[in-house]
Amino acid sequence: MSGPIERILVYIDGTEESLTAAQYAILLSKATGAKLYGTFIVNTHALNDLLKSHIFVESEQMEYQRDLEQDAGKYLHHFETMAASKGVEAETLRENGSVHVKLKEMVREFEIDLLVVGELSRIRSRRDEFLNESERALRTVPCSVIVVKDTDRVWDLFENDSRR
Amino acid sequence: MALIDLINENVVKVPLESAVKEDVFRELINLLHSAGKITDPEEIYDAIITREQLFSTALENGIAIPHAKTKAVNTLTMALGISPDGIEAESQDGKPSHVFFLILAPPEQTGPHLEALSEIAGATKSGSFRRLLITARTPEEIVELFQDG
Repeated sequence: MSGPIERILVYIDGTEESLTAAQYAILLSKATGAKLYGTFIVNTHALNDLLKSHIFVESEQMEYQRDLEQDAGKYLHHFETMAASKGVEAETLRENGSVHVKLKEMVREFEIDLLVVGELSRIRSRRDEFLNESERALRTVPCSVIVVKDTDRVWDLFENDSRR
Repeated sequence: MALIDLINENVVKVPLESAVKEDVFRELINLLHSAGKITDPEEIYDAIITREQLFSTALENGIAIPHAKTKAVNTLTMALGISPDGIEAESQDGKPSHVFFLILAPPEQTGPHLEALSEIAGATKSGSFRRLLITARTPEEIVELFQDG
């Protein structure tokens, strides 16, 4: 297969917006034949920062990390199941670290040519641009990025798409 | 989720009336109750106090971030209170706490909860932003501060 899109990576964090992005990426993979990857990144960078600044105590940090690792398993499995329901084979990547840094590394390592992320928050401030991980990723990854909007339309597209 | 998505005038109290940490928690929880954001203030107070007993959530530079995971909320929820005079809250630098971010999240929303806490930690690193928060006189001014970034 050759074309402008050969390898797609979708970032999943468990939010409704990211699951919509996953659906869109699955449909895009099916339409283009591009290889599909989905990733969930446990933000251990943020967990460590919260511990250092004493917002978290150690037991709390461990509890949150455990919860996020469970989320990673749950949502990546859900992503694989959604892809399989459309006859698309998906590879999942579970990582720990800083989200935007890990996304950049994955884009390079797997030669991703399209990153798909969910819609950003409704209202944004200039301050958020420096703090939001998706925002930082889309500004810094070396590949093209699609920000998936219009959840209702995407869910309809996904539901009405035949398996093959 | 950006902080500004969690804040509106109905969940901001300026100035706080309480002079004791535990009363501040109750004041902010009651504010959320009045705003229709929560239905069981007592369960939430217990969750906040249980977390507080591990270690004080009053940080340095006048900022406090009481928080808890609780099934008593369905979505990430925040209240913000300002005490211009400051409240003794066992802070890390021993100074009074002026700005209280009270954050509640359901157990299944660990990711957004973490993101919100990180955003607060990042935003309040700025000395000028902290000063603007502490000197704000109305909820509208506070909301504008977050919108302006």
